[in-house]
Amino acid sequence: MTEKIRNFCIIAHIDHGKSTLADRLLHLTGTVSDRDTTEQILDSMDLEREKGVTIKASAVRMNYTAGDGSAYELNLIDTPGHVDFGYEVSRALNACEGAVLVVDASQGIEAQTLANLYQALEADLVIIPVINKIDLITARPDEVAEDIGSLLGVPPAEVIRVSAKDGTNVAAVLEAIVRKVPPPKGDANLPLRALIFDSHYDSYKGVIAYIRVVEGKVTADEAIRMIATGVDVKPIEVGTFAPMMKPAAGLAAGEVGYIATGLKSVHEARVGDTVTSAARPAPHPLPGYRHPKPMVFAGIYPSEAEDYQNLREALDKLQLNDASLTFEPETSQALGFGFRAGFLGLFHMEIIQERLEREYDLSMVFTAPTVAYEVLMHDGTVTVVNSPADLPDEGLIAEIREPWMTIEIITPTDYYGPIMELVTRRRGIYKQQEYPAPHRVQLDYEIPLSEIIVDFFDELKSRTRGYASLDYQFLEYRMDELQKLEILVNGEPVDALATIVHEKEAYHKGQRFITKLKELIPRQLFDVAIQASAGGRIISRANVKATRKDVLAKCYGGDISRKKKLLEKQKKGKKRLKMVGNVEIPQEAFMAVLSLEED
Amino acid sequence: MIYSLYLHVPFCKHRCAYCDFNTYAGQEALIPDYVDALVREIESVAHSAPEQLAVHTIFFGGGTPSLLTSKQFEQIFRALRGHFDLSDLETSLEANPGTVSLDTLRDLRSLGFNRISFGVQSFHANELRQLERIHDPFDVFDAVTWARRAGFENLNLDLIFGLPQQSLDRWSATVKRAVGLAPEHLSLYALTVEHGTPFGRWAARGLLPVPDADAAAEMYEWAGDFLSASGYEQYEISNWAKPGFQCEHNLQTWRNQPYLGFGAGAHGYAAGVRYSNVLRIKTYIERLTNPESRTVNIEFPFSPATVNRLPSTVRSEMQETMMLGLRLTSEGVSAADFAARFGVPVTDVFGKEIDELLGLGLLEWVLPPSPAFGRGAGGEGIIRLTKRARLLGNQVFIRFVD
Ligand SMILES: Nc1nc2c(ncn2[C@@H]2O[C@H](COP(=O)(O)OP(=O)(O)OP(=O)(O)O)[C@@H](O)[C@H]2O)c(=O)[nH]1
Ligand code: SF4
Ligand SMILES: [Mg+2]
Repeated sequence: MTEKIRNFCIIAHIDHGKSTLADRLLHLTGTVSDRDTTEQILDSMDLEREKGVTIKASAVRMNYTAGDGSAYELNLIDTPGHVDFGYEVSRALNACEGAVLVVDASQGIEAQTLANLYQALEADLVIIPVINKIDLITARPDEVAEDIGSLLGVPPAEVIRVSAKDGTNVAAVLEAIVRKVPPPKGDANLPLRALIFDSHYDSYKGVIAYIRVVEGKVTADEAIRMIATGVDVKPIEVGTFAPMMKPAAGLAAGEVGYIATGLKSVHEARVGDTVTSAARPAPHPLPGYRHPKPMVFAGIYPSEAEDYQNLREALDKLQLNDASLTFEPETSQALGFGFRAGFLGLFHMEIIQERLEREYDLSMVFTAPTVAYEVLMHDGTVTVVNSPADLPDEGLIAEIREPWMTIEIITPTDYYGPIMELVTRRRGIYKQQEYPAPHRVQLDYEIPLSEIIVDFFDELKSRTRGYASLDYQFLEYRMDELQKLEILVNGEPVDALATIVHEKEAYHKGQRFITKLKELIPRQLFDVAIQASAGGRIISRANVKATRKDVLAKCYGGDISRKKKLLEKQKKGKKRLKMVGNVEIPQEAFMAVLSLEED
Repeated sequence: MIYSLYLHVPFCKHRCAYCDFNTYAGQEALIPDYVDALVREIESVAHSAPEQLAVHTIFFGGGTPSLLTSKQFEQIFRALRGHFDLSDLETSLEANPGTVSLDTLRDLRSLGFNRISFGVQSFHANELRQLERIHDPFDVFDAVTWARRAGFENLNLDLIFGLPQQSLDRWSATVKRAVGLAPEHLSLYALTVEHGTPFGRWAARGLLPVPDADAAAEMYEWAGDFLSASGYEQYEISNWAKPGFQCEHNLQTWRNQPYLGFGAGAHGYAAGVRYSNVLRIKTYIERLTNPESRTVNIEFPFSPATVNRLPSTVRSEMQETMMLGLRLTSEGVSAADFAARFGVPVTDVFGKEIDELLGLGLLEWVLPPSPAFGRGAGGEGIIRLTKRARLLGNQVFIRFVD
């Protein structure tokens, strides 16, 4: 039975055309009709469509009659390409036997092409190399085929050349999948073991677990058990993605599909857990895989205190779909009750912010993102601080350690200089270089994470006209001369504006921060003094003078309604400000620390 | 209940560069039909009124009402006298100094006008040119002199501060000249750059160097001091008068009392509804001429020209009573009046807001009420803006809206 099944994923650097190629495959196999013209069918969230970026992996089943005349079941798992979502890729890989490696014909091999490829090779997947976008005038398929050939150790002629956009040669990809990707192994008669590689929350059917059945069978009639959490539940429905959810009698070893669990909490059906049968449980779970760890933290506070519960519920719901989002309650003197949330990266944080605003219609203040610091105290204990405001008193601290990353930057050799300059200015340390292809250099550095969460990627892109690409992994915690930079408003420290900086940069950053805040904080009914302080010294100060005039002193002819509307509008604008003590601070101020880099 | 009447005359010879009022240049040929329509609207509204309404002020605003001939005014007054109970009237006319002569002013006086408000704006020829006003400073001297000779004992001059490139010196020269003409009343307005006006377009392109809010505040405060030293009392954020010469018509609005609006784009507030008329002159005329629309039964205070109706709720009426009444810098909102009108003490409805504003030094109680009744509830106190808050009115008013 499993002889005719192929489970594969598509991996690529961001924007090299995975989603577009997936669309093509869906059309070619008749899984969606040509009249379903929505582009990037697997990108179902509005936000994905708009940004043209795949955020969540999706799985879909296709029926395909191959050149050899027999019918195959192809399960495609689409994966995101942005580096923040690398963990999604690793999950998808565990559910597959093969990977289509897509490389853009004009961009060539980039950082995540390599990163994803290495992961796929580690997971023992068969690689099918494909060059996409051969229709572009800037395409250089021969060169790129040459590069891929030497990377994989295959003849360049074996690399399939396609245009996902106009459909050229895409059928060859399907044939290669059938021929080269091995059918899944696994005994359907053993007790059930299925890997949860993704999930989403459905308000009717509860947590929908995306599964790859490794051994045994799953049906809707038989109770299942989550091995790690020990939860037993009778599924509401079992089915496949075609590409919408389509109920099926059951799924057997080798197959990919979903279980609608009816569970209300993602904590009971965790991604990475193994599903087994409640009646005939398997003795051991499947080997788990790397659980994504949040790298970047920020406070999220409702603009209006009444919204606290709504924010909580929204975060709960988002977490159902996004196991990498973490949050816990936090209180700020300045901002009241909120949450400290952890994200995979800045891009991930941006996505969460937009989804909260858009899907839940919430108005919030996000504080500037920070990394998690390890603080060694004089008494020998170590605490983890992921909010600058929580940094203990300086006198108690023996040392502060911050997370360091290794980064690989792949770039045309022309941009060697500007990149070197950017990285070293941000405390990066050069390690080595390699030439993965002619005119391309891979530069390896070590750099503090705090230096790359702040517009590093944008800077890199602008210095290299968009050509450089970046991949990063956590390296280790290292000690450095770090200190808290505090902002005082009318003499009171504002916890939500505190940040941790390198001692050498405290002065410069403090000055810039104050200049920025002076622009951002609107004039109030009284003078507002703002100061930056580090190491017990005030290093910069400014004064926002009291407003003197705020009144409609205009001739108006009895049109009270309009006047009232103007006042209502002004009131609404005021509501978006945060009261810190009796000072109104706009939300942008809490992110201002992100733009202190420029000279 | 005593009413005020507002009649809108939406014609101007030329549109000033900052103006966003409902007025039109080059449409003067429509004036005769427009006056006929006004008369019809007056008849229609008076007809549907539950009783003959008592009226104590009439105000012709614009636009440029002084473009109407005395015959045309005569026609309108005939209609007003025929349908309303007029007694002890304040009858005001807005006039452009460049559109009057001694003769026309004499006619206006004998028609019954007893107050004229001149749109002076500035005493500097270059400022007037920049505003694209059609008059110059000499026209103002003439107009005021002629008005006195014609027997007007109640004159207002409108001035604008915060003009492009205006300095405090230039502004104070304008104020001093205005005071030199000894008007009974002065209105000082801050220039507001509006979208869709030439000023708005220039400002968007960065071509309008208007003084900043601090400089405008200086000008306002200087003028306030100068006017009070010259015998004028401030009674509203933008208005000063010699004792006994407050504008009754405008007081009606700020006290949140009813007024009927006639004419294209006119606003009214009566029978618990804020309403307004269609803006375009031609549509206005059509609506009042078309026999069909005239025959349908229309409820008071509406007319065939009414296009917007916003019924008040008790809550909105309370809010507006505060937001308007607090503009009255001297009389403010009386706790007794509020309680009499709504049957509940103002401190019960807006206690939190008032306390906050007292704390911020933006509001003050005058004549603290006797302790037996609690603050403001017993009927003796009035609540009003502090001196500092006169320029920060919006910070106060927004607390009384939703
Ligand atoms: N000219 C041309 N453009 C293509 C082709 N394939 C994809 N594109 C375009 O390349 C861009 C990126 O394509 P996607 O399919 O969204 O890329 P992706 O790899 O899924 O991107 P992420 O999900 O963000 O990682 C889109 O604008 C596509 O229209 C192709 O064959 N030719
Ligand atoms: S005279 Fe008055 S109404 Fe007419 S255009 Fe000038 S400012 Fe506007
Ligand atoms: Mg995609």
